Amino acid sequence: MSTYQKIMELQDKKISIQQSGGQYKIDKQHKSGKLTARERIEKLVDPGSFVEIDAFVTHRCSDFGMNNENTPADGVITGYATIDNRPVYLYSQDFTVKGGSLGEMHAKKVIKVMDMAMKMGCPIIGINDSGGARIQEGVDSLSGYGEIFYRNSMASGVIPQISVILGPCAGGAVYSPALTDFIFMVDNISKMFITGPQVVEAATGEKVTDEELGGSTAHCQISGVAHFKYSSEEECFAGIRALLSYLPQNNLEDALYYECKDDLNRLEPVLNSIIPDNPNKSYDVKEIIRLIVDNGTFLEVQSLFAQNIVIGFARLNGRPIGIVANQPKIKAGALDIDASDKAARFIRFCDCFNIPIVTLTDVPAFLPGVDQEHNGIIRHGAKLLYAYAEATVPKINVILRKAYGGAYIAMSSKHLGTDLVFAWPTAEIAVMGPEGAANIIFRKQIEESNDPISTRQEKIKEYRDRFSNPYIAAARGYIDDVIEPEATRPRLISALEILQSKRESRPPKKHGNIPL
Amino acid sequence: MRKFRININGKSYEVEVEEIISQVPSTVSSSGIQTAVSETAASKAPTTRQSAATHSAPKMETNEEHSRKNTAGKTGSIKVNSPMPGTILDIRVNAGARIKKGQVVLILEAMKMENEIMAPQDGIITSIDTNIGASVNSGDLLFTMEVN
Repeated sequence: MSTYQKIMELQDKKISIQQSGGQYKIDKQHKSGKLTARERIEKLVDPGSFVEIDAFVTHRCSDFGMNNENTPADGVITGYATIDNRPVYLYSQDFTVKGGSLGEMHAKKVIKVMDMAMKMGCPIIGINDSGGARIQEGVDSLSGYGEIFYRNSMASGVIPQISVILGPCAGGAVYSPALTDFIFMVDNISKMFITGPQVVEAATGEKVTDEELGGSTAHCQISGVAHFKYSSEEECFAGIRALLSYLPQNNLEDALYYECKDDLNRLEPVLNSIIPDNPNKSYDVKEIIRLIVDNGTFLEVQSLFAQNIVIGFARLNGRPIGIVANQPKIKAGALDIDASDKAARFIRFCDCFNIPIVTLTDVPAFLPGVDQEHNGIIRHGAKLLYAYAEATVPKINVILRKAYGGAYIAMSSKHLGTDLVFAWPTAEIAVMGPEGAANIIFRKQIEESNDPISTRQEKIKEYRDRFSNPYIAAARGYIDDVIEPEATRPRLISALEILQSKRESRPPKKHGNIPL
Repeated sequence: MRKFRININGKSYEVEVEEIISQVPSTVSSSGIQTAVSETAASKAPTTRQSAATHSAPKMETNEEHSRKNTAGKTGSIKVNSPMPGTILDIRVNAGARIKKGQVVLILEAMKMENEIMAPQDGIITSIDTNIGASVNSGDLLFTMEVN
């Protein structure tokens, strides 16, 4: 064979591999509304930047007639590319090759890119579209899953890990995405469950469709498993690129600094009137966020789950920040089990990757109720306290209005190590709301009064005037300054500047024991 | 005849209670509202000086326009439940009303906050399953609707 023929042979082999499971299966994939594994990579990364590795890998199973089966790239495309000129590693499961099933070599390819991503300190993106374990390969397939899960755990907090569910992801396979930092889902395409509808029906008699059981709405709104929901694959890829723009490449780097075109000293007079005079009225905290951050751009994470707390990424003076804010519009902004879990995990993500945390507090309490108590609000609420206390990144809190009791402590209070706590003049920092407090403190006077109702109202007013303000906490130094709402943006920017050089160490330990 | 001062939703009512016989529901006339009290004044009536602040008001059914009759016996496929325990302060729409996603259907006062309970979709309200003044628990059905 001449060199020319050898080159031709190479080209033929590559073309054949790129045809994946063949035109019939590719058409089938398109007909079901899905892009192919290769198309997905092309649409996600910078044009022409993808470099494939391990394209020649194929299975080595000879049982159950597998010796005659050809599996191009063994059902998963792996390699590296750039997104906004920054390198990422990725793998994309190919449903046209044996249903994207995961066998020994398929897993080895995934493991290889994960190991490379760790060594090079680059984010890894996994596109999941797989029927599950390749049954013919038996325990080798299980071993593959296990090794992937192990690497997901090792990479956690070292490199950002992103999972994209673009097809089925069922059984044990769900635990790789579950171990990563962010899960993206697309309506009617993504399905995630431990056991599918048939098994559920056989076990419990419940009839449910796969979309209801494990579709994007189920996981983005109800279970909180996933973080981002889109109506098309293209929008989903744009979302991934947007998210990556806020993240550093790894835990030793800072996120990218963009030159800020927005006015650093921008005053927002609207903020002076955004808090209603009646403390029983709500408002939308997302409006406040948009008025404060650069260009009003806020990338909300888990926007549909536990909406009583808002989390997400934005920039101040071009530098990424993580925002945690109570949402008075939903459940009065009270902290419940889901809200605590959601915020705690986000805070820990920001802490892993050197992203400062800005908290906006307006919290009446932890949510009361038998249901909350019995489901462990104590255990879940503790995560929030733990996450804030543990975080060593710059932490800033702005108390907008209510900050009562245990929830005040939990929401990035000075006592949990927050570097700078500001309060608006509308802040009310106390053990409980004026109504409850007056009933307890002035119980006797109210009981003995001739007109208990007006006495009670008087006492509530007395308590409100005396304690429902930021000045008592400020007199103790629990609040560093009371600021005018309109000046929140410049004050936060200047605070972040001074906290840039923050160094804080923790006692040496293997790891803490966060209440899970 | 006994006199009570009862505080409902921040409004003070002077209520006169007349004892007729035990175990028979009595009619109570108060300033403004007609209410049926399920408990007779006789057995549990507090002593005269007991304050309204510590004495919780008896459970009341305000049989006014927003009653369960509103449902016309139908329920919609989309059920909206109470997100937390609280009191229904106001009901803004009636059954049969056409509403837009995000439009406020009722106000739930909970955690000392007036929480707006909104329609999750565009559609028609099939039933209002609660009343103004009703105490609801987390998970209780508030209203149902149908996407048209």
